[in-house]
Amino acid sequence: MKKLLNKFEPPLNKNLDRIESFIHSHGKVKFLFGAIFEAFDGLLRSSKHTAQTQPFIRNNIDTKKFMGAVLIALVIGWVLPAMYFYGLQCVISRLIVSFVVGVFVVDVIWAIIAREDHISEGGFVSCMLVPAILPPQAPLWLVGLGAAMAILFRNIMGGVGHNLVNPALFSRLFLTICFPALLAAGYQAPFTGMPDLHTLRYGLDTVTHATPWTEFKTEGTITSYLSLLLGTATGSLGETCRLALILSGIWLVKMRVANWRLPVSYFGSVFVFSGIFSLLSKNTVAPPLFHLLSGGLVLGAFFMITDPITATYNQKAKWIYGIGCGFITVLLRNYTTLSEGAMYAILLMNLLAVPIQSLMVKIRYRT
Amino acid sequence: MIKKKQNRVSKGGVNLFGTYTIHFCNIVEEISSDNPPELFNFALPNKQQVKNIIVALCPTEPWALPNWVALGHKTKVFLDKIKEIKTAHFPEAKCFVVINNNETEHIAAAKEYAVTNEWMEVFVIEAKYPHDDPVVLSKAILNTEVNFGQDTLSQGILFLDAQTISAIHKSRVLNKNVDSRFIALSGTGLKENEFANVQLGTSIEKILKNRLKESSHCRVFVNGPLRGKEIKDFTQKIDWTVNNIVVLEALDKKVMFPMINTDRLHFTTNLLGELRTCVYCNFCDDICPVDLEPALYYHCYKRGEKQKARLYNMGKCIECGLCSFVCPSKIELLGIIKECKLPD
Repeated sequence: MKKLLNKFEPPLNKNLDRIESFIHSHGKVKFLFGAIFEAFDGLLRSSKHTAQTQPFIRNNIDTKKFMGAVLIALVIGWVLPAMYFYGLQCVISRLIVSFVVGVFVVDVIWAIIAREDHISEGGFVSCMLVPAILPPQAPLWLVGLGAAMAILFRNIMGGVGHNLVNPALFSRLFLTICFPALLAAGYQAPFTGMPDLHTLRYGLDTVTHATPWTEFKTEGTITSYLSLLLGTATGSLGETCRLALILSGIWLVKMRVANWRLPVSYFGSVFVFSGIFSLLSKNTVAPPLFHLLSGGLVLGAFFMITDPITATYNQKAKWIYGIGCGFITVLLRNYTTLSEGAMYAILLMNLLAVPIQSLMVKIRYRT
Repeated sequence: MIKKKQNRVSKGGVNLFGTYTIHFCNIVEEISSDNPPELFNFALPNKQQVKNIIVALCPTEPWALPNWVALGHKTKVFLDKIKEIKTAHFPEAKCFVVINNNETEHIAAAKEYAVTNEWMEVFVIEAKYPHDDPVVLSKAILNTEVNFGQDTLSQGILFLDAQTISAIHKSRVLNKNVDSRFIALSGTGLKENEFANVQLGTSIEKILKNRLKESSHCRVFVNGPLRGKEIKDFTQKIDWTVNNIVVLEALDKKVMFPMINTDRLHFTTNLLGELRTCVYCNFCDDICPVDLEPALYYHCYKRGEKQKARLYNMGKCIECGLCSFVCPSKIELLGIIKECKLPD
């Protein structure tokens, strides 16, 4: 592999250099394509900047690798299992639409209009999460709209590093408000109804099933834990195979991309609070294990609340943040008419993270 | 008294030996000065001033001079030297010998020695940078708070390294002249990593002559690329404070396929990434050896509130540079801290 690539290196390098000098010598070309070229060049070549102040050597981890690790974990966590359960076309088409609309259209146009110097890698993560939290039978335009909203919202807030709430979850909230019918339906049972041209355009409503949570709320039945764990129960496209999500999540924690405090406190608090509430009122509150394995909780715990930008920076505040998420999730799931509370809980705690962070800093440094 | 338990100095820090493995040539080369060499001159402090002596035999940077060059394999002879200096100059002081946990030979010999010598204590630490820093060590061993930049002697602590001990012994006990010291030469810009016995007053130009790789643009650092200084003027002369010289390839050009060609980028001054905004990844406060939160300083600095940044325990910072080293967004955190420390 290395030898093969070494052959292409000198001519490719030379041509990239030529394109770069051309772009930089022409103002208008740079205005239009500078950021796109930088993004493309950044994938192929390293940076040419050197350390000018102490320390003069730097660690070999950059934001690209950071985001790359999340992307790998997402592919293992939901893309591969979803391909197995819902079919190749269903997943690939949604991913392509999400990436094209989110990264290659909205982000690129934004970079040109707002005169950004670079296109951030974070867009790939957001666009990969958007189809995962939508129903498997959501029409493609909904996925595209979701991806566009996520990236647009993130860029309006100031880009990666400034977004107050998780962009993927925000776009899902937006879609839930605008198209409640499409998001309540479209939950297809795995292995049924491979999509064709018609369903890609209008959605497939003939095979719609109730999700485990609506089943519990309407009939009081509890789906078997094994089917929830393996992914044979219904749910959003990316949240069903909890086993793969847990494995890839643990890998992310081990790579130190995700902070272990957040999933631990989230799972722990959901388990404890739902345990207490189900002891108090047996029939209306689901048992703790059902809470942990159903809905988007596993996906949320490993990929949503661990998003370092929207979580608190202080390590102790992370415990409060995770426990708060767990508490609100249990409340929303059991005492409201909503069929899933994880999304609202995480969005609410994203906003509360700001006061929690400043409070913890005030306590720690007594300022 | 022997400390059997492994001492955990503090949280944070990083083991650099795994990341930067430097193989040195075993032969020590002699380099003499063109001018008459300068003599080693160490002003020993007062007897009353020194209550504790900390002998740091624990280089935590892979490019630093390892113990065996200065000590040989004669730990007992070296410890006898400490004893002689102590009895002659600081009879009241207590002595702590700090050794890295991977040097089992030295640890065993020192512990055996400490059984019969009550005044000495052996302190074993993990070879993590920057746990050999005076501030970190005095906190861990004596539980004394020393501020960064403050003279440790004001707290009654005298810090000595292996070579200084040998030199003091030679000049004060044996009354001979000391005019040379060992220096480790390493880095990607050199043909070979080696040790040299250099006469004091030799210019850096002379030391690096015929040792540099000709093909590439190199940068020279004295006392390591993490805490040391970059040398632009090669006529500068070697004095006793120079422990090592590191020559790194600058690599100020783009490298194709950085994911595969990691060996070409390794141990160079390349940033290995692009400057981005902070993503609050917690790498900096996880690695900080004195338990600070460097990202807070970055955000204060960006808002122009240097005064506020100083409130967040900034005085504790020992300027080890690990926050800048580890930052995935390549933010110059140490530079920001230094700037915030300056009075308005």
